[in-house]
Amino acid sequence: MGKERSAKLWHNMGILLFLAPALILIGVYIIWPIIMSFNLSRFDWDGISPQKIYVGFKNWIDLMHDTIFWHALGNNIKFIILSLVIEMPIAILLAVLLDRGGKKFDIFKSLFYLPMLMSSVAIGVLFKYIYDPQFGLLSGILNFLHLDFLAQDWLGDPKIAFYSVVAVICWQYIPFYMIFFIAALSNIPQELYEAAKIDGATQGQYFWKIELPLLSPSIKTACILSLIGSLKYFDLIYVMTEGGPSNATELMATYMYKSAFASFKMGYGSTIASAMFIIITTAGIVAYFATRQKEA
Amino acid sequence: MKRFGRIVAVVTLVVFMLSLVLVFSPSEKAFSSAGGTKKIVFWHITTDAVGKQMIQNQVNRFMKANPGFKVEVVPLQNDAFKTKLKIAMGSNQAPDVFVTWGGGPFFEYVKGGKVKDITVYMNENGYKNRFIDASFGPITYNNKIWAVPVEGAGVALVWYNKEIFKKYNLKVPTTYDEFLDLIKKLKAKGITPISLANKTKWPGCEWYWYLVDRLGGPSVFEKAAERNGGSFADPTFIKAGEMLQNLVKMGAFVKGFNGLDYDTGQSRMLLYSGKAAMELMGTWQIPIMKAENKKFYENNLDFFPFPAIKGGKGDPSNLIGMASSNYYAVTTTCKYPKEAFKMIQYLIDDQAVKERIAYGQIPPVKGLKFTDPMLQKVYNLIAKAKSVQLWWDQYLPPQLAEVHKDIVQSLFGLTITPKAAAEKMEKAAKDYFKK
Repeated sequence: MGKERSAKLWHNMGILLFLAPALILIGVYIIWPIIMSFNLSRFDWDGISPQKIYVGFKNWIDLMHDTIFWHALGNNIKFIILSLVIEMPIAILLAVLLDRGGKKFDIFKSLFYLPMLMSSVAIGVLFKYIYDPQFGLLSGILNFLHLDFLAQDWLGDPKIAFYSVVAVICWQYIPFYMIFFIAALSNIPQELYEAAKIDGATQGQYFWKIELPLLSPSIKTACILSLIGSLKYFDLIYVMTEGGPSNATELMATYMYKSAFASFKMGYGSTIASAMFIIITTAGIVAYFATRQKEA
Repeated sequence: MKRFGRIVAVVTLVVFMLSLVLVFSPSEKAFSSAGGTKKIVFWHITTDAVGKQMIQNQVNRFMKANPGFKVEVVPLQNDAFKTKLKIAMGSNQAPDVFVTWGGGPFFEYVKGGKVKDITVYMNENGYKNRFIDASFGPITYNNKIWAVPVEGAGVALVWYNKEIFKKYNLKVPTTYDEFLDLIKKLKAKGITPISLANKTKWPGCEWYWYLVDRLGGPSVFEKAAERNGGSFADPTFIKAGEMLQNLVKMGAFVKGFNGLDYDTGQSRMLLYSGKAAMELMGTWQIPIMKAENKKFYENNLDFFPFPAIKGGKGDPSNLIGMASSNYYAVTTTCKYPKEAFKMIQYLIDDQAVKERIAYGQIPPVKGLKFTDPMLQKVYNLIAKAKSVQLWWDQYLPPQLAEVHKDIVQSLFGLTITPKAAAEKMEKAAKDYFKK
């Protein structure tokens, strides 16, 4: 009896032991900074001077009245909706097409995945040139097709800039969800297709009756991933527009970065970061339970 | 077998703990004291191949003359540098020598006790007199000098394509009315009058700053920024905003300017290709253009100072910018401040001045002669300028500078009225200085 227990203890110790490196890293690099951010949000600090001025909840009250922050949050929400509406259907469509094509289409799997492999900064610089209203590829193509009237000031017009940037982000992320769905599709048992074939199902019925229902758990997961990703998005927006012009493409993360590092308001930046943490965690949890209930 | 597994586990744990201890123990000393060499870490932002090599050569001369010292030169990209420096200073990992433009953001570091007061070194043997007087403005705080002027003058001027002006028989404008007339003529010829890449906001601000200076003189801004009797809601600021929006409305600027990026050369390309005729930009553009498009630099490029506004109080010789564009400062954490200062001197000694002129810079040193007529012309302009007003975004405290740049970008985008813009800036200034 005693021997068994000690064996179990050893077993648990072993688990803990091998988890320890990961736990310590997560603690040092993720949990601790989050706590520090919340702590910093109560100070007025420029990020340099040794003394921080304690201001209590002033930063949080300022944040509640900060129109730019609410505007940025609004943009984040718009961004979530756009990503879901654009990315998911296209990704599913591509995944289904590539899956049906079988081995012949393998080359397209790699080709379509390319945008995901490029660094966001490189994509940002690339598209800055593509969108250039004078020399840009996009304006060039429109001119060539005699569609000049469609040519826009893609990144400079506050009304359009946001959609221009979102289009690029979707282009970058569709391959990710595509691969995700291809993996899910390959898990669908071949027998289902064979049974459907005997019943005389059409291609459309394959999709609506077999693939889509069996994909739905993956789609839910993908939606949560997209939701969280959209809420904390930063890089391409920063490279392409820095949140401008006139805050038109500002997201919470770009605003946080600018407050903390450009305006020397480290305390306020930490407040935005903490607010983001609260918003994203809440949204993630809500989305998780919302999709779980449906499953039951 | 099971025992063996346990032993492996325990050994792994011990190794892991040991490595953690090593990671967290301060090991910097162990490296720097090895072999008796003393190390100076030096961050700068000259990243083009020629400039980077030039600075390295100057540092190498210092190391040759001071064998006990090793200088680690770290060239960084402009924007990455700003963030990196801030984090390094905040976490006490600062370099020994770093580059700065002086002004508001720099004084934040001075106030934070991060920068060494070098007044004594500067006064030694009258070293200070080597430099143009105007170059000390942005680095003097509390009557003390905090950095050495090193890199060339940077003032904003209107660059233009000589070829286009010759072809259409256009004259360089001296008054604002002539300037507006010129814009109309260029437009009629189907040429974009002005190139502008305003994604990062400061290039557009240069227009606003000059308009304010020509309308009201440098003191209007200074009084508002120092909060001594001035206000950002002053009619001069509103008028400047109106004139700016007038330029936008008449189509003076290139299409899409608020989305174009100066750093990737999107505005210069328009000049090179002859699509646009003019650009208001700092003189740091000289070495860049020389390297990017030598033929254009030699045959097509010229400049004129910002035109005078009729009835305006600002002297037409006034310039915006700085007599020296990059300064080098020593941090308080530097272990060998004296030698670090000596190293900086190598960056601007007689040999260095020669190298810098060849590179296309105008060193902030007295009594220079240039073989390149373009540089001579800029040098003369600076020498006779009544005032050289520091870039506002460097003059203002960083928090206000960001607000100001956002407001001017909105002015350009016609999403805010000049009056609302002026009031918004005044409110931000009031909020900031009340604290």
